[in-house]
Amino acid sequence: MKHHVALFALLGSVPATLGLWPIPRSLETGTSALKLAANFNIELDVPNPPADLSAAVSRSANYIKTDNLERLVVDRGASNSTAVAHAPQLKSLVLSLESGSPVRSIMEEATLELGTRREEYKLDVPASGASATLTANSTLGLLRGLSTFEQLWYDLSGETYTIQAPISVVDTPAYPFRGFMLDTARNYFAVSDIKRTLDAMSWVKMSQLHWHVVDSQSFPIQITGFMDLAEKGAYSSSMIYTPEDVQDIVQYAGERGIDVMVEIDMPGHTAIISEAHPDFVACAEASPWATFASGEPQCLMKPLISRLDTLWPLEPPAGQLRFASAAVQNFTVGLLNEVAKMFPSNIVSTGGDELNTECYTEDAETQAILQETGQDLEQALSGFIQAAHGTLKAQGKTPAVWEEMVLDHNVTLSNDTVVLVWISSMDAAAVAAKNFRIVHAPSDYFYLDCGAGEWIGSDPEANSWCDPFKTWQKSYTFDPLANLTEAQTSLVLGGEQLLWTEQSSPANLDPIVWPRAASSAEVFWTGATLPGGKPRNGTEALPRLHDVAFRMAQRGIRAIPLQPLWCALRPGKCNLNS
Amino acid sequence: MVLKLALLVAALVAVVSPAAALWPQPRNITTGSTALRLSPLFTISLSSIHGAPSDLVEAVARAETYARTDNLGRLVVGRGSSDVAAYQHAKTLSVLELSLSQGAKVQSITTEAQKPLEERDEAYTLSIPSDGSTAKLTASSTLGLFHGLTTFGQLWYENAGTIYTLSTPVDIEDSPAYPYRGLMLDTARNFFPVSDIYRTLDAMSMVKINTFHWHVVDSQSFPLEVPGFTDLAEKGAYDPTMVYTATDVKNIVAYAGARGIDVMVEIDTPGHTAIISQAHPEFVACAQSSPWSTFANEPPAGQLRFADPNVTQFTTELLHAVAEMFPGTMLSTGGDELNIPCYDADTETQSLLQSSGQTLEEALNVYVQAEQKTLASVGKTPAVWEEMVLVQNVTLSPDTLVLVWISSDDVKAVAQAGFKIIHSASDYFYLDCGGGGWVGDNPSGNSWCDPMKTWQLSYTFDPVANLTADEAKLVMGGQHLLWTEQSGPENLDPIVWPRAASSAELFWSGPGGNVTSALPRLHDVSFRMRQRGVNSINLQPLWCALRPDACDLNA
Repeated sequence: MKHHVALFALLGSVPATLGLWPIPRSLETGTSALKLAANFNIELDVPNPPADLSAAVSRSANYIKTDNLERLVVDRGASNSTAVAHAPQLKSLVLSLESGSPVRSIMEEATLELGTRREEYKLDVPASGASATLTANSTLGLLRGLSTFEQLWYDLSGETYTIQAPISVVDTPAYPFRGFMLDTARNYFAVSDIKRTLDAMSWVKMSQLHWHVVDSQSFPIQITGFMDLAEKGAYSSSMIYTPEDVQDIVQYAGERGIDVMVEIDMPGHTAIISEAHPDFVACAEASPWATFASGEPQCLMKPLISRLDTLWPLEPPAGQLRFASAAVQNFTVGLLNEVAKMFPSNIVSTGGDELNTECYTEDAETQAILQETGQDLEQALSGFIQAAHGTLKAQGKTPAVWEEMVLDHNVTLSNDTVVLVWISSMDAAAVAAKNFRIVHAPSDYFYLDCGAGEWIGSDPEANSWCDPFKTWQKSYTFDPLANLTEAQTSLVLGGEQLLWTEQSSPANLDPIVWPRAASSAEVFWTGATLPGGKPRNGTEALPRLHDVAFRMAQRGIRAIPLQPLWCALRPGKCNLNS
Repeated sequence: MVLKLALLVAALVAVVSPAAALWPQPRNITTGSTALRLSPLFTISLSSIHGAPSDLVEAVARAETYARTDNLGRLVVGRGSSDVAAYQHAKTLSVLELSLSQGAKVQSITTEAQKPLEERDEAYTLSIPSDGSTAKLTASSTLGLFHGLTTFGQLWYENAGTIYTLSTPVDIEDSPAYPYRGLMLDTARNFFPVSDIYRTLDAMSMVKINTFHWHVVDSQSFPLEVPGFTDLAEKGAYDPTMVYTATDVKNIVAYAGARGIDVMVEIDTPGHTAIISQAHPEFVACAQSSPWSTFANEPPAGQLRFADPNVTQFTTELLHAVAEMFPGTMLSTGGDELNIPCYDADTETQSLLQSSGQTLEEALNVYVQAEQKTLASVGKTPAVWEEMVLVQNVTLSPDTLVLVWISSDDVKAVAQAGFKIIHSASDYFYLDCGGGGWVGDNPSGNSWCDPMKTWQLSYTFDPVANLTADEAKLVMGGQHLLWTEQSGPENLDPIVWPRAASSAELFWSGPGGNVTSALPRLHDVSFRMRQRGVNSINLQPLWCALRPDACDLNA
């Protein structure tokens, strides 16, 4: 243990030589140079390896050959040339499963229920050139280890090398849900954009794509038996995810250790359903939209109202499912039933955010139904949600909801419901107090769209409702356990950064997401402490984040520079007090 | 009933779709409501221009290509599928004929674009009849013709293989409100390959921006290869591959010129020069001094020792060499954010001042005058950042152009000092604001000029606010600016476009435009940019872009 600490102290004095992201829970490094042999290869010592593991190995071997990332130091590694010239050569990395481990596909492992996924691995890279070894008790763990191994290597005049052998890693995530949410309804993203995003997610060991696939503006997903929704609600016939596309995305994600939690947001955020079913939607495209659209301020937590005041993100078009109607309930249950079949994941989100009650107050049909059934709006809502979740449960799915379903509405939810806290990080404690499991998605830390200005027209003075911009540094300071009791900590499943796309599209997807979204990936993988026990901190992290961002760029992701290159090459020189 | 419905639909189309989605909006335009198709054999004729310069011939070829390949569906629900009835029997346009007005001298677009600001002739007249007869574009300069081609290119939409407009006849008489319409790019904080600059110049020309203000070097890197001073880039560029060679510069200047754009290069002095210490350590005070925040507004610290006659000589020779690389008449010597504690702490500067008996301000005055004299000797008009007028006690030649950046509130004072003004206000035009703090170890830091400057805010800028009628004449125009601490090729397009088009219209069409009516046109040019390979962002959900005004605040 002393040895361990000493090594880490040394690492601290030679910053930024190891660009691992997320940093492993336990890490020992040396100071020897080691280079890859020209015939370096990754051997799979796994009987009958699943196809997606073999594919992952091929990808890894390819990345190592083609990353061509020079070290982020002023001379880009030139001063290492002598050491590299004389360095031992690593000929192979051998992957194996611990004895008794089942051999399942990465996808099967990645789509297991949260909390039962096995992502831990051990990686040893000797300094001598003897075979490196990667072991795990699941193929998913092996995939995580491969991501780490890939990040060890730099290029210098055609040699692929590290100057920190031997390297020994024992790693396991602090939280199982390490996600990224993408909204494909405000603006559409091609399948290729989603796949590229999944690739980048997998490099930083993210485990969950939260796919906010539909919203009031468009309905781009084709659902068997409900084809009219996309036919009439997609932006165009070329802006549709067919069942084959969904299958393709789910498979692509699974092979990269990523589970896909789809979200069919309801009963709000559903105006577009009125294109196919005008009778199902109250106040569809009602004007002024500001009166009727999802996001009525009085639904919100009181402290937030005073903070946000008039900046609340009401947005056009208005329109919400008439949930009090039995026909709407049948429709919803049928729809969710089909959606659940399309996604192997154990979790499906039914959303539930920003319900506008004024819309229903003004809706004669809703009022008539309520009068007839003798229910009030909240009772009807509870019935609707219970029906929706009932059909998910019947298929073995766990429902996820946005926080308002717990904090603002009087809805009966099953105990295992996963609650996405988004309005404010301060709301996590209230959700925990109700004993629900939490996925952190707070706008005050993790919303990637904040700070980009107002997008509503005819409003030149306004800013984004959740100003200012959430920097990676800010996200990185997030404490998943803040304000929770010891007993409540087990409720935290993890968290995610989120991209709402009112002002995003394929044109700026990469730059707005990367490398910022890697920030929470480390928060939820590494947990509170660095290997060696010091608290995780942004100053130590920045050189490593530069490193992974540059590596992403080498792999075709348009990750932005966080600083002038001058700073990226001089760790510690551009800090506030340097 | 069916007929009635069709009429109703037609009426709706007329109401909700803009007659023509031009950006910038021409000063005078009338449009009709007759459809016109572009013939598959459509050509642009230069036959009436004898000895047409090659850059005009190339501009015509590009315009023909854009017309054929833009393939922009109209921004309405259905993307133009409901326009078929309107255009299927429409006449076809076969020829656009370009001509210069009688007596006009035939010079290249490049030559015209590089003239002094006041001498540029950018006006043009465009008329497109409804009957398919020849459309006519006339101007008294090739630069005017070039701008007219840009306008022509924005008139066309595509549906099912047909290229058409719904708005003929079109008659336009156009000329800019201000002669300087710029975009500034910083290539020193992070490097941008030549291809990124080309693409940016293409997008600039789409919205009639006519000046590329190239902040080419700064404290972080010196990517410009200057003949006779090649050690600066050799030692100060980020990497040998991150250098603009003399040939690159020539190509960029030519590419810009052919697109009606002049290049105003900036060699920022005496601050923002730390990187020069790599080649000339003796020329730079407090190079990389720590803490940087005492000696500079951002890391690394380091400023030219301007009190040193050797530094003055180096600077004037460098400026002379740079001036020869750029044919335009404007050259900026910067002069922003000079840090005084750096010189107070610099023993060399202090002993120089003592021996010469000058104060720091006096020495600065000598230095800046030497710079300006050099520029004057090679026929350049100097440009400086506002501090040279408002903060430092420096005597500037009266033709100096002053870039007002700190705040739009400073415009008045610069005007009162009698200098010409280029609006560059951070509170309206800085594209990097709102991107968060980039300095490390500062998790609660925001960008210094928070919040983000939306296109809407920029659009409301009044170039003559608080100015008298005489002072208003000093306003040359203005520009958006991209400082690149957090930008690289990865986010160049998304952070610049379409926002920078906002000031392009402001300074072409004149102030007072209405953000509400502008938005559908801005969507249009943004979508057209994307069709041409520029990663211009979506300003709103597509739902809104296809439904003009449905997403306005009070819709």
